[in-house]
Amino acid sequence: MSRDEINSLFRTYKDNKDPAVKNVLVGAYMDLVHSLARRFINRGEPLDDLVQVASMGLLKAIDRFDPDRNVQFTTYAVPTIVGELRRYFRDRSSAIRLPRGLRERSHMLNTAIQRFSQEKGRSPKVSEIAEITGISEEEVIEGLEGAEATTIASLDTTTETGDLSLLDVIGGEDKTLKLLDERLSLAGAMSSLDAREQNLLYLRFIEGLSQTEIADRLEISQMHVSRLLRRTLLSLRQSLTASSREPFIS
Amino acid sequence: MTGTLSDTVCVHVPPLERSSEVVRMATTAMATQAGLNLDQADDLNTAIDELFRLSISDHNKQHTFCVRYEVHPDRLEVVAEGIKANLGDESSKVGRYRRFIIEKVADRFEESSNPEGGFDILLVKFLTH
Repeated sequence: MSRDEINSLFRTYKDNKDPAVKNVLVGAYMDLVHSLARRFINRGEPLDDLVQVASMGLLKAIDRFDPDRNVQFTTYAVPTIVGELRRYFRDRSSAIRLPRGLRERSHMLNTAIQRFSQEKGRSPKVSEIAEITGISEEEVIEGLEGAEATTIASLDTTTETGDLSLLDVIGGEDKTLKLLDERLSLAGAMSSLDAREQNLLYLRFIEGLSQTEIADRLEISQMHVSRLLRRTLLSLRQSLTASSREPFIS
Repeated sequence: MTGTLSDTVCVHVPPLERSSEVVRMATTAMATQAGLNLDQADDLNTAIDELFRLSISDHNKQHTFCVRYEVHPDRLEVVAEGIKANLGDESSKVGRYRRFIIEKVADRFEESSNPEGGFDILLVKFLTH
């Protein structure tokens, strides 16, 4: 669609607020919505949710845009959509808000841990991270656990070297489910987990890989693996607890 | 267990969901003091979290969750004291799951009766160089 056609549509919409015109405008800018939503993909929320939030921002931008101001719509829409996404993270993604300094420290630690693990082939000690980053051990612990407490990792987040999501990388095979189920004799409880979650448990508890080794294999950070495992174990435990009243089948 | 004891810390928290982060912070701090790396510290956190969940579960709710950390030159020992449920109970899915996880992440794991009731559960993580 040409710029003139777009401007014409905005003028029409401004005059009659016709939902059909609005739908056409929404369709014209969905690529922008996806592009902006993807910027936030590494924060632990599923892409679908982010696109939904960004779409709300787009709708607001279309409603408020004034085509007579001689400004391109994207100039107006981008900050509106990004603002909507930021509000989403501020309001919903964490029950506890980390102070900015702690968030930055957490990011710095994540980078340092990743670099150390890659160079040395093992997980660092807190003292080693403290030495590399130049902060105290207490500050390192605070940064690590503070981030753990407020971040819910998602398997939908992308790997750190590409656009693939962890769901794609981890993969899923029925044999994993079978092996784990047999090993644990959990009588089907594993089926409550996503195939990729089962695979993550398989890597850690059957293959016996360390978090650093899993991180290396999946091209994500050790901190991310830690969060994913926590989340997966929580899901499994909840599922088991919910079904604990059922009779045990060996 | 043998070896020179260099430091002991006890943590008592109420059996509330929000206490789990306090325990986690204490565990990471003690793992650091013992010289464990992040993978090992996280393993211990996983095991202790399972014990904490056990202690706050409806059937086994305790007045407090007590955990004792002992730093040795070559290892960190963690004892969850007076846990009401027996980890050896293989009759429930949750019990088997919990035991499996703990056995996998701890280098050593022992369970003994507590004279004041319940069970003491010892987890050991050795330093690797």
